[in-house]
Amino acid sequence: MNAAVQLLMVVGLAAAGAGGTYFAKGPPVRTLVCDPATLKPGEICLEQVQEPVVWIDARPRKDWQSNGLPGSILWNLDGAEDAAAFEAEAMQKLFENPKAVVYCSNEDCGVSQQVAEKIRKLDPDFDVKALRGGWQALKDAGRIKDSSGTP
Amino acid sequence: MKRVIAVWLGVAGMAFAGKLTFPEPVKELKAGPDETKVKVDFPFTNSTDKTVVVKETVGDCSCTSIEISGGKTAYEPGESGVIRLNFDIGAAVGKVEKGASIWVDGDPKDAPSQRLTMKVDIPVLVEMEPKTLKWHVGQEMEAKTIKFQMHGDKPIHIKSVTPSTENFIQELKTIEDGRSYELVVTPKNLKSKALSIFRVETDCEVSKHRTQQVFAVVSPPVAK
Repeated sequence: MNAAVQLLMVVGLAAAGAGGTYFAKGPPVRTLVCDPATLKPGEICLEQVQEPVVWIDARPRKDWQSNGLPGSILWNLDGAEDAAAFEAEAMQKLFENPKAVVYCSNEDCGVSQQVAEKIRKLDPDFDVKALRGGWQALKDAGRIKDSSGTP
Repeated sequence: MKRVIAVWLGVAGMAFAGKLTFPEPVKELKAGPDETKVKVDFPFTNSTDKTVVVKETVGDCSCTSIEISGGKTAYEPGESGVIRLNFDIGAAVGKVEKGASIWVDGDPKDAPSQRLTMKVDIPVLVEMEPKTLKWHVGQEMEAKTIKFQMHGDKPIHIKSVTPSTENFIQELKTIEDGRSYELVVTPKNLKSKALSIFRVETDCEVSKHRTQQVFAVVSPPVAK
């Protein structure tokens, strides 16, 4: 048996195993799993959020308007936006409830941590966290109906 | 069997080979106080043995735009190019981080193979500390102070301070004309919650630094 045939057999067996697993167990679970033990400082898992909190969307305005969490307010770092207006609106909301969770698009966006830091500078007593997994985590949890969003 | 392993390693090597190689995927720079735009170039090389096509580039916000050298998207093995990240600074000040995600052919939709980041240091011309003054309902009445320090080559004067509510008494003190000021704020009473936003107008020549805002808050009593 030559090398090519052996390789084909290996690939074929692997494919058969994968197909069998798919058939028996169904498609792989693609929802985000948030392990509190792996959180960075200032982050929170969706399951840990104790509402009511002020939800802050750190994505571009068009995404927030299209599929932001209902009741959320916008605060992104877009240079074209009025940063003072974001700050004033957040301050007014946090005056009523000093707990906030900021989300951006997904695990990698990083903007939520930067916005959370700006809020802490307004008042170090504010309890503000960045949501691990961002908008995608909210969507996976069924909190957002629209399927569109920034990749 | 050795040949099987060799063929397998060859196939696996091709499947998991690196794509575009960026020697410096993170770059830092300083912006001038009145600069409105900055750009950073990220040179790269196709270090694989096959053509790599840049399929999609997405910036962090509408304030970023991305250009690829001459609009060229396909790169032969060993070929080099440059991705330029433009950032429209707008009203941003302080340390700002902006980035872009790069997808090449074969990347899953949710996993770009490259992330590029620029860290921009934008000078703060009007520095305020603290940003928020805070009292609690029922505490002893006292005045509190926000200090303003003006940076940059030219003096910056505070022209006016306008509160959003009438719940506080304010007094602006000039410590050093054009350089240092203090805003002394006292709540009219500490019987109930209150919030006021103070708009601070200056004569700063750079428009984005001209208007600032600070806050005064009377919060509920601290839980014991």
